[in-house]
Amino acid sequence: MNLLALLGTLLLLSSVWIGTVEAKSSVGDRVLVLVPKLESAKHYSRFLDSLKTRGFDLSLSAASNTSVSLQIDGERLFDHAILLAPAAKKMGGGLTPQDFVRFVNDGGNLLVAVSSELSDFHRKLGKQFGIDFEPRGSWAIDHSEFAEQNNQTDHRLIAATNLAKVPAVLSPEILTGGSGTNASLPVFYKGIAHRYQAKNPLLIPLLVGSTTTYSGKTEVDKDGNIRSAAVDDMPLSGKSVGLVSVFQTRNNARVAFSGSTALFSDPLFKRTESGNAPFVESISKWVFQEKSVLRESNHRHYLLSTGEQPDHYLITNDMVYEIDLSVYNNDKWHPYKADDVQFEAIMLDPYIRVTLNRTQTSDSSATAATYHGHIRLPDRYGTFTFRVNYKRTGYSNVDVQDTVAIWPLRHDGYPRFLTAAYPYYTGSLVMVLGFLALSAVWLWNAEPAALKESKDMQKPRDDEKKKTKSKSK
Amino acid sequence: MAQKVLGLTAVDQTSLLRIAILGLISIVAVGSRLYSVIRFESVIHEFDPWFNYRTTRYLVDNGFDKFWNWFDETAWYPLGRVVGGTLYPGIMVTSATIYNALHALNIPVDIRNVCVFLAPMFSALTAIATYHLGKEVKNATAGLLAAAFVGVAPGYISRSVAGSYDNEGIAIFLLVFTFFLWLRSVRLGSALYGALTAISYFYMVSAWGGYVFIINLIPLHVFALLAMGRYSNRLYVAYSTFYVIGTLASMQIPFVGFQPTFTSEHMAALGTFGLIQLVAFANFVRTLIPSDQFRILIRGAILGLFVIGFGGLVVLTMSGVIAPWTGRFYSLWDTGYAKIHIPIIASVSEHQPTAWPNFFFDLNMLIWLLPAGIYFSFRELSDHHVFLILYSLFAAYFAGVMVRLILTLTPIVCVMAGIAVANVFEVYLDFRNTRASDNTANNATNAKSFVNPKSEKRVSNNTADSELISSSASAGEPKGGQQQVSFFEKPSFKSFYAALPKFVVIANLLYFLCMFQWHCSWITSSAYSSPSVVLASRSPDGSQHIIDDFREAYYWLRMNTKTDAKVLSWWDYGYQLAGMADRTTLVDNNTWNNTHIATVGKILASDEDTAYDLARRHDVDYILVIFGSLLGYAGDDINKFLWMIRIAQGVYPDGFKEEDFYNSSGEYAIGDTASPAMRNSLMHKLCYYRFAEMMGPRGFDRVRKQKLPSSVTLDNFEEAFTSENWMVRIYKVKDLDNLGRNHHTVSAFEGPRHTKNIMF
Repeated sequence: MNLLALLGTLLLLSSVWIGTVEAKSSVGDRVLVLVPKLESAKHYSRFLDSLKTRGFDLSLSAASNTSVSLQIDGERLFDHAILLAPAAKKMGGGLTPQDFVRFVNDGGNLLVAVSSELSDFHRKLGKQFGIDFEPRGSWAIDHSEFAEQNNQTDHRLIAATNLAKVPAVLSPEILTGGSGTNASLPVFYKGIAHRYQAKNPLLIPLLVGSTTTYSGKTEVDKDGNIRSAAVDDMPLSGKSVGLVSVFQTRNNARVAFSGSTALFSDPLFKRTESGNAPFVESISKWVFQEKSVLRESNHRHYLLSTGEQPDHYLITNDMVYEIDLSVYNNDKWHPYKADDVQFEAIMLDPYIRVTLNRTQTSDSSATAATYHGHIRLPDRYGTFTFRVNYKRTGYSNVDVQDTVAIWPLRHDGYPRFLTAAYPYYTGSLVMVLGFLALSAVWLWNAEPAALKESKDMQKPRDDEKKKTKSKSK
Repeated sequence: MAQKVLGLTAVDQTSLLRIAILGLISIVAVGSRLYSVIRFESVIHEFDPWFNYRTTRYLVDNGFDKFWNWFDETAWYPLGRVVGGTLYPGIMVTSATIYNALHALNIPVDIRNVCVFLAPMFSALTAIATYHLGKEVKNATAGLLAAAFVGVAPGYISRSVAGSYDNEGIAIFLLVFTFFLWLRSVRLGSALYGALTAISYFYMVSAWGGYVFIINLIPLHVFALLAMGRYSNRLYVAYSTFYVIGTLASMQIPFVGFQPTFTSEHMAALGTFGLIQLVAFANFVRTLIPSDQFRILIRGAILGLFVIGFGGLVVLTMSGVIAPWTGRFYSLWDTGYAKIHIPIIASVSEHQPTAWPNFFFDLNMLIWLLPAGIYFSFRELSDHHVFLILYSLFAAYFAGVMVRLILTLTPIVCVMAGIAVANVFEVYLDFRNTRASDNTANNATNAKSFVNPKSEKRVSNNTADSELISSSASAGEPKGGQQQVSFFEKPSFKSFYAALPKFVVIANLLYFLCMFQWHCSWITSSAYSSPSVVLASRSPDGSQHIIDDFREAYYWLRMNTKTDAKVLSWWDYGYQLAGMADRTTLVDNNTWNNTHIATVGKILASDEDTAYDLARRHDVDYILVIFGSLLGYAGDDINKFLWMIRIAQGVYPDGFKEEDFYNSSGEYAIGDTASPAMRNSLMHKLCYYRFAEMMGPRGFDRVRKQKLPSSVTLDNFEEAFTSENWMVRIYKVKDLDNLGRNHHTVSAFEGPRHTKNIMF
């Protein structure tokens, strides 16, 4: 009894505790931040402070600190990791790119910022996400869209404005320029460029170069002006210059790569004409699963007639499919509203694909929107997969699958007494009656005596004939 | 003669003796089928029986209604199989009935044991049915001999040992019993027996697809009798009753359905039914208008109608009104047909043409008693004998075309051998005459001569054959006996010389009979009693070593994979996977969908990446291959692989060529000398993956006696399980990479994986 009471209080306490220290991220608040040295964290104080105010629990650590590990016994120690140490060849004691890939595969989110001096570690890691950094020492350069710094012109400090129009990742203020102004503020970027796999559906090149941006090696004079820029034969230029790219894995972990650590630094945050602060806020919110997290909270399917989910459906049954979708934005789960949620019934190929309708509710406190569809199952039996495969750029993937058997009709489930078959029914009935009538006539009509006699006479004669025949043979 | 022993008359004594003999035959028949249970254990053998066993369990657990409407979504994923409508439910219903009856009597038998011992039990019934058939066509002696033969003939034992829970196990009994009832109904002209024949036929239809043999042989018998001018009202009553009731009954089996009305296999029966109505009508007309020429007219009309009917059948078949013959039937006429057009049929070993030693192997001396039996039948040539001769000829032909059809040949061979041996015994075991006077002694040698087969009296006579023999013995004409009399003057001399050849012949025959029995036991014990699920090998010191890899692997699947996991394997293992591992399969031994099987063949024959895409498209979780290289088990997947390619090639002609899988010197090789297509094929990779590590640097393949491939890489699949003797290898199909990379890149990034997975 005591034990039960103890357990009860523990449960109560734990629920209270979870309630109070609720992180703003939908997955967790433990963040590992790796910087080259502990002091260098100062460069990113504004960024890191903003994370703290958003409720994250930062574990700041130098990249060379050997006691850092990502997991113990297969259990993740952090929910998110920020790598701000581009030059470090190894992270922690001996964390390899493989370890970080495993971290992401486990569901951890990763924010990686590198610079022109990136190590092989980062190059290898980026490659796994379809991001191919330019050679070490090269920069992203733009001679027409650059920002001035300390009254010096540095063409490597790009004022990038070419943002991908992904409202799920970037807040509307950044995309449309906020309330007052028309044009959005440029993002100040100084760092290395990367090639991105344009065909990779998991990768979103969020910030790319403008038509005048290119990648090359530079030498800078004392005034900070670029003296020369060595360029490859096949330079990376224009929109294919990737600056910041984000990646959402199949298990909905999120990863961001920035070719510039400076993007996150205090000097660029401070400048009034820069849009770095809102841009970084958008990215970090997205990566740390604070926004655009889509989830299916429930789904069900049942027969229209009974309202219950049967063991198996029968062909051409009318059924209802319902799915509840909610989206995590602004620290809360909201109903997710869209008009393109589709349902498929698949057996090798989709037999049915319909768009589901949102059920209208007056409940304003609802956290999920219900989508429903009335579906007539195909006239085909087999094992079908009911699937809602909802993948939209920037949103978490929702892929709900149910394997459902559709059986043929029972042996007595077919229609009886078809109108078309009435001629046959009458036919057989007439046959039966005719047979009975004939039998009756046969049985109750005595043979005329004369005929009977003549028959009896005939029979022996027949037999005799047979005998003579067989003898002759 | 009428001495009473134990208060029984001679007739009663003989009946008692017969019952005792039949009982003993039954015991021997059951006993000789129990080797496998005694040596191994009470398990279901082979492949098909596993399906029957599984469905029987379903029937016992869920009742008949659910069984009838059962749709098995775990077979033929994702198409599913309408089990209730695509099986012959006879054997399941029989077992379930026995099971329920035993449980009603409070005998708690496991359903598995009912299934395991069903075929032996029915073999005893077959022996009894054969006895009746033999008695019907000749006499009790022939019947007993035939029963004794059929009880132990390896040709039948091969499909009815304990644990071989196959349709044929009960179907052979039904075949013989139906024929017995048919012959009796023809002899008696009884509608009752005709109806019984139809009921027995219905049971047969519910049990085995081989019922088509009955529905063609009986009309053929009728047709032959009509063509011989032997129409009788008895025949008319028997056939009309049988056909109408039998066909209506057979249509109640969902798998058969309306086939009797439109498929070619059933047209002969329908045509004969129409013909016999015409003949009956003609006969009726004849009674009204007697004419000597009428008979000729009738025969001409019959032949004419036959020609017209056959021509119409051909035309209707060509125009598609009547469903054409199925592939299996074409391959009955042209043994090369299947290999070209339907490799899936040719790929089954039991559909191959029979090699001649097989006949001797399965039937021993019976095979040379068959012609003797046919000869004796010709000498009598009653309606029954026409049937026996037709049955012998057709069954012999079919047995020559397909190995498995030796099974249908066996009963008639036993009956014919029974007749032949009975005839010999009648003459040579009859010592009464040697002690009697000269004349009778001479007559005895002629006792073989029979009633004139053409005699109408013989046909219409309803008395049993046994009585006829004795009467015919005295009616036989003396010939050649007169000269012998002059040689032997003394009666004792004569009787001795009359008896001597009898002793010699009998001794000889007894020797052969003993040899036959010995041969049968030996064949049964050595060839037909090993369940292919469990293998046995002998070590040099003679001790037995049981190889239980199949069950080990299936049990692993059962315990370690998700219940809805889909397992891809070649179709041979589908039923076993469903039965033993209880997992969803893509294809199984019910080879109804050639395309699906070809897809599986394509997956196994493609290179790794194509196979991966296809496997994922079909939601495959695991791939299972059978690999015999370590043990030297020749029935493994690499040896079956050519058939997989052929079947895949038939459906997917582009991109597949059998020749690609032979190397430059035209050999079907494995390892480094194999052709690129072979080396890159999934099957080759799955089989030899890491096998060389186990066999060492000089390892070789024990089945194909070739060197192993030097390196096998596998990225898209990961090894999940390999059984003790490497016979069963199970691979998991990897999920798509979380980061969208292909698995080759992942493997290159992760490095060699088994360095960190060593557990010992």
